[in-house]
Amino acid sequence: MEQIIFYILAAVAVIGTVLAISEKHPVHAILYLVTSLFAVAVVFYLLMAPLVAVFEVILYAGAIMVLFLFVIMMLDLGHPEKGFSPHWREWLPALLLSLVSIASLVMVIVSRHSQLAVPAAQSIPIREVSRRLFQGHGVAVELISLQLLFALVGALYLGKQQASSPGLPPSSAPERVSGSEEKSP
Amino acid sequence: MDMITIPAVNMTPIMPEIFLSVLAMALLLINVFVPSGQKSYIGYISFIGVIAAAVLVGTGWGMHVESFNGAVVQDNFASFFKMIFLLAAGLAILISDQYMVREECNHGELYPLILFTVVGMMLMAAGTDLMTIFLGLEVMSVSLYVLAGFNRENRKSNEAGLKYFLLGAFSTGFLLYGMALTYGATGSTRIADIATFAAQQSLPSSNVMLLAGMLLMITGFAFKVAAAPFHMWTPDVYEGAPTPMTAFMSAGPKAAGFAAALRILLVSFSTMQADWSQLFWVLAVLTMTVGNITALRQDNIKRMLAYSSIAHAGYCLVGFTAGNPTGTAGIMFYMLSYTFMNIGAFAIIVLVGKKGEPNGNVMDFAGFGFKHPALAVAMSIFLFSLAGMPPTAGFIGKFYLFSGAIQKGYIWLAVIGVLNSAASVYYYLRVMVYMYMKEPTEEFDWLQVSAPIALSLLISVTGTLVLGVVPSIVLQYAQEAIKLI
Repeated sequence: MEQIIFYILAAVAVIGTVLAISEKHPVHAILYLVTSLFAVAVVFYLLMAPLVAVFEVILYAGAIMVLFLFVIMMLDLGHPEKGFSPHWREWLPALLLSLVSIASLVMVIVSRHSQLAVPAAQSIPIREVSRRLFQGHGVAVELISLQLLFALVGALYLGKQQASSPGLPPSSAPERVSGSEEKSP
Repeated sequence: MDMITIPAVNMTPIMPEIFLSVLAMALLLINVFVPSGQKSYIGYISFIGVIAAAVLVGTGWGMHVESFNGAVVQDNFASFFKMIFLLAAGLAILISDQYMVREECNHGELYPLILFTVVGMMLMAAGTDLMTIFLGLEVMSVSLYVLAGFNRENRKSNEAGLKYFLLGAFSTGFLLYGMALTYGATGSTRIADIATFAAQQSLPSSNVMLLAGMLLMITGFAFKVAAAPFHMWTPDVYEGAPTPMTAFMSAGPKAAGFAAALRILLVSFSTMQADWSQLFWVLAVLTMTVGNITALRQDNIKRMLAYSSIAHAGYCLVGFTAGNPTGTAGIMFYMLSYTFMNIGAFAIIVLVGKKGEPNGNVMDFAGFGFKHPALAVAMSIFLFSLAGMPPTAGFIGKFYLFSGAIQKGYIWLAVIGVLNSAASVYYYLRVMVYMYMKEPTEEFDWLQVSAPIALSLLISVTGTLVLGVVPSIVLQYAQEAIKLI
């Protein structure tokens, strides 16, 4: 049964990702990506790696995607004025995909914790994960932290504006105004 | 309750990396207190740091130490490449100062970012775990994206940074997918374990997952070293990036890509050499031809050198195709000579560029030979070396690469390589025709040679000539290094 659930979830993840890149509306694309990441998280749970599953949901589906949504809202790419009552065709696929993921998750949890099921394999505890991480891959952990530091330095450097420079180039500002005027009536 | 004990690790293999990381972070802090007109001092400190790191690498020559559960290793192969990276970084730091001051972009973040790029490259060469190699590549790439867009007030530089970032991220995806498939097929990310697994298979190339993993990894590295047909980003990025960073980018990261690819292919996939040799044959011919043919028609000298750098990657891929000690030692020797001659040529371009228009054309060199004979002679030496003429380093490098191919029976590949090399003479000599045979249209009165650039030119000219006349002093180290990989 686990194999069948795995293939269903893999299909959900692939369909979610394909829809994420084919969708024109950026907010919709991100929500499809969230469904895809959620399916992957359930796959991790299925593979006896609950910690990674939790990370996947909290970090990717949670934090990073919310950050994307914030950026889209700040840049006003989503045209939220059009999105008050989306057509059912727009939300139904995402809903179905997430329902499949949730149903699989429920089935896995129920089958793992019912008395009838024989525990097939031990899931990996957090202690074991951290032991692997810091004993086996110490240099990788240090490298990642250094890389994040310097990515931050680079982003800060490139994003900082010189005191003398007059902010955004004026050419981009009127474009956006005319674009939103077109859409607003 | 049992505690997690942090294992005792041997830090010696990554001493140079630790030293450079700490120095880079310290310089970031010092940068805050240095007034904006005096950022050159940070450059001088970094240059001294690069020399100190080179000494650290040099003292480790001949040792073979594995550390971090086999994630990094210190061997001669890694040390040789580390020296190339440090040389590229040192020369780039020397030519950066004058350029950045002239373009009013002299920010202190430049030098720590260069040092950190070197840390990434070093770990690519020293990594014996796919994870270390990948992280090294990412450390290198992320710093390079910023360095390409370092002149943040300049549209061209912004474009270069963004293009490099997007295509670099795309290529990273290929590489990572390949590594994931290899891990899935073999159950390990350690290069030695992958080799053990492949050796146990009667026909490793029939394992589709392993083969796909290898092919995707080669694709990822081909992007990084700008091999055709994955070279599209190169001209725009090389043209837009600040010239000293272009010089650095064309030498260091390319060598790092070759180092990691060499280690993975020669150790992990040595049993599949018949498969990847054929692939590299096609890649080498394509890369050499595309690079040289396109370079023929470039007027912008940075774009011309960008296409020429694609062609030079193609010559190195000839060494990959051969895959024998002559060819692979040839790659190492060639990357060292390329570092000397290419950064030297870019140093001259830095000098000839004017404030606000640093991306010169070939025509700007008209009459340069009459106004500045010494600099023109240096430029001629670099161009001769790039074209592969004796008695320069470029000739010896190509000689070893092509003779490696001939030893393996790839006669046609060597013939195509030599023909390509002959075609490349046209566009290198074109610059010299402008320098010596055209009337000067400019007085070149803005041109000043600062002491750091003079030093870098001195090092480059010496390196190009010495490697061309007595190649054995370096080649024996390269051969020694490749033997023990």
